[in-house]
Amino acid sequence: MSALLDVAGLEAGYEPGLPIVRGASLTVGEREIVVLLGPNGAGKSTLIKAIAGLVPASGGSVRLDGRDITGVRADRLPGMGLAFVPQTENVFGTLTVRENLELAAAILPRSRRAEAVARALALFPDLAAQAGLRARRLSGGQRQMLATARGLIVAPRLILLDEPSAGLSPKLVDDVFRQLVRVRDSGVSILLVEQNVRAALAIADRGYVLVDGRERLSGRRDELEGNPAVGALFLGGVPAGEAA
Amino acid sequence: MPLVQVLADGLVVGAMIALGAVGLTLVYAILRFANFAHGELIAWGGYFALSLLTLATGWLGLEAGGIGGLSIGWALLAALAGAMVLTAALGIGLDALLFRSLRRRGGAITLIIASFGAALALRNLIAFLYGPTPTYYSRAIPMALPLLPEEVAAVTGQIRMTPDQLFILGLTAVLVVALHLFLSRSTLGRAMRATAENPDLARLFGIDTRVVIRWTWAIGGMLAAVAGVCFGLTAQVRPQMGFDLLLPLFAAAILGGIGSFHGAVAGGLILGVAESIGVHLIGAEYRQAVAFVVLIAVLIARPAGLFGERD
Ligand SMILES: Nc1ncnc2c1ncn2[C@@H]1O[C@H](COP(=O)(O)OP(=O)(O)O)[C@@H](O)[C@H]1O
Ligand SMILES: [Mg+2]
Repeated sequence: MSALLDVAGLEAGYEPGLPIVRGASLTVGEREIVVLLGPNGAGKSTLIKAIAGLVPASGGSVRLDGRDITGVRADRLPGMGLAFVPQTENVFGTLTVRENLELAAAILPRSRRAEAVARALALFPDLAAQAGLRARRLSGGQRQMLATARGLIVAPRLILLDEPSAGLSPKLVDDVFRQLVRVRDSGVSILLVEQNVRAALAIADRGYVLVDGRERLSGRRDELEGNPAVGALFLGGVPAGEAA
Repeated sequence: MPLVQVLADGLVVGAMIALGAVGLTLVYAILRFANFAHGELIAWGGYFALSLLTLATGWLGLEAGGIGGLSIGWALLAALAGAMVLTAALGIGLDALLFRSLRRRGGAITLIIASFGAALALRNLIAFLYGPTPTYYSRAIPMALPLLPEEVAAVTGQIRMTPDQLFILGLTAVLVVALHLFLSRSTLGRAMRATAENPDLARLFGIDTRVVIRWTWAIGGMLAAVAGVCFGLTAQVRPQMGFDLLLPLFAAAILGGIGSFHGAVAGGLILGVAESIGVHLIGAEYRQAVAFVVLIAVLIARPAGLFGERD
């Protein structure tokens, strides 16, 4: 059985001949939260953008449900069940909360749009109260909820989230992560990029540590939680036993 | 001349500038480049209508004469509709042949220079095809009608406008309202606003930004054609008309806040009225200088323009 998302030997970057992601491989299964960890500048955001079609891949492949989606235009992926929520600038500040959701729902058949918007607002009651407000006036936490709600509105099979906890207070981080567990339990798989290692591992099923554009460590949550090499990689060192 | 008359004349000119400035500002909002060929879309719109007018009266036998007191007849209305379609196609074609590939490979300066080149080519093509002399749509001398009741006019002075001028104001108002509703309510209009704010995020929302770009050119082209035909109605069509309109277009768009639809409308009207007052007070030779004085004054007070947002 193949995984829902299967990234194999992916190479991607912003300029030709300068790959940032250098042969990264990872999988995400059905109903799984997979966390992608790694030091700043490791290429986590670039990898996730390459999966979402925003950064061109120069090698390797991305498969969604067995289907090759390498190089598929970014605007076609939501319709294929893949949603990506970037770390910053992830909602349209000049549109209202409701307009943001309605715009995302516009790829659904007309008959299902209103219900999809209503479902998203029901999932995030904080947002429902602000539906007529322009998104740029939302607080950081509300904005992150709107971004996540937008990603979920098309009923994706897989949602990619880039540091949803960035800039949020610890209490809000808890809220967002609890929400993610609920999303996973509703049948959506999640690939989560995080700097907040402890909080992310607490909700993850599996994880990868990316260093220099390639995964250096991977394992189940319990394997990573107890592994001192995870911390070492963050400090820029090479874990024991792996030194060249 | 009473002040109310000066204002009314200014509004008519302002309406035409606004129609052009809206197209300019929408293209800027979506594609982040200042299109110096936009004036030529206006000129081409005027000339497309001229050719179609000949076709409509000659081949289709449509009445050349006016409806009511207008010098505009069914033939010119048909020609206007056709010119809107053709100018939209010209804008889309220009983007597909020239700007699209430069967007991928060149920088902002390359695009601006390319639009200069396109403007030159388009302008000279008009002179080559149609000759350098100005042309009228109609030889009829329009009658200006008094608009205000006698009692009011006794106090304020009378406003006289030709039916054509009223038609221009009415058509502009309808188009501006329609475009406002389109941008605020329709999915495509919202997709345009979204793409203007953040094209990458728009793609993540499932928006095909190439379609949005085509519609942007189409709308800009259609409004340019209307502006060109209105220009031909109040004056004449001539090959340099696009070039002459370029500075007022940019001044209006920048005045309103470049990229802002409402700003371009307001900027166009303000500029038209300011020019009219300037011509009335100082003289016609200073028409364009007035535009710049107004522009500079507004930008000193509000550097991002009237409706512009500072980052
Ligand atoms: N838009 C961009 N253009 C060029 N280089 C970029 C861009 N975004 C990120 N980079 C570079 O790519 C490398 C990896 O960045 P990123 O993927 O954001 O890492 P991470 O998300 O793991 O912190 C960094 O060296 C960064 O400077
Ligand atoms: Mg990052």
